[in-house]
Amino acid sequence: MTTQFENIYHGLSPEVGKFRIASSGMAWKGEDSENMMAMTAADIKWAQWMRVARNHQLRIGLKDRSRETFDGFSREDHDKLAQLLKQHFSVTLETKETSFKGWNWGVTDFQGMFGQDLAFLVSNKTAFELPLDHASNSNIAGRTEVSLEFVTPSGNKKAARNAPDEMVEIRFYVPGTATRDRGSDA
Amino acid sequence: GTGRNEGKGWKRFQSYKGEAALPKEAENLRIYIDRKAQTIIFPIHGFAVPFHINTIKNVSKNDEGDFTYLRVNFQTPGQLAGKKEDTPFEDPDATFIRSITYRSPDGHRFDSISKQITDLKKEVNKREQQKKEMAD
Repeated sequence: MTTQFENIYHGLSPEVGKFRIASSGMAWKGEDSENMMAMTAADIKWAQWMRVARNHQLRIGLKDRSRETFDGFSREDHDKLAQLLKQHFSVTLETKETSFKGWNWGVTDFQGMFGQDLAFLVSNKTAFELPLDHASNSNIAGRTEVSLEFVTPSGNKKAARNAPDEMVEIRFYVPGTATRDRGSDA
Repeated sequence: GTGRNEGKGWKRFQSYKGEAALPKEAENLRIYIDRKAQTIIFPIHGFAVPFHINTIKNVSKNDEGDFTYLRVNFQTPGQLAGKKEDTPFEDPDATFIRSITYRSPDGHRFDSISKQITDLKKEVNKREQQKKEMAD
């Protein structure tokens, strides 16, 4: 038996598609492009659930240590997904809490199998993650400031109407011991 | 100077209580100004990341070739070299986001976003000032 979820995104792509789960595995198929992404049951190692911009994300960890993300699930899909993942692949759907406090201070944490994601945590909840393999450049200025630049997927092409906004740089202030000298910030 | 305000005098604020409060517009992966929550929502690699207006210092915009760049500067410690800092922070030793920069081919939209953020900031500052005066 196959269960299907509609209007699901794969990765950061703007294309919606159908997401199907059966005992043999899971697959996403794009509505317009006929793009297809399939995962066999034996390759599915873990699953996470978290709130992202496009509703909830199902994140799947694969045997080859890569991972795939699928956005667009509703809150109500959680229990059904959890049950299917358990039943078909003996995988527990873990919830990762997201912060919506609106604060710009927290803790950075290297996550992922190879520490390839820089997570920014506010009150122990994830505010966002930056895939460091997408970073094109990084800089350290004055020992307390770190900047990361990102390559933009659209390149120099004119972006389509309603195209997503692209973050090209983020700067962190990392107070080290250097700034703890009283009376001087120079 | 009186040194740093280590968590003292910091007034608590919060954008949203939970994920359900996030406005629908966050789905578009575009910068969104939520005036009601006094919050700007920024798309960061698929996440909708709210920043309360109190965390924002200012916005700057510049045009380069076919693109407009919008840079949002945040309130962080250690920005006033040699001067007394009077902005209180909950945790001055935390890691802070100091700025984020976006790029768009649509200069008009970034103009409008920049203006909306600046206006909201002014509005909130004015209200704070009025509150202070009332309290005196």
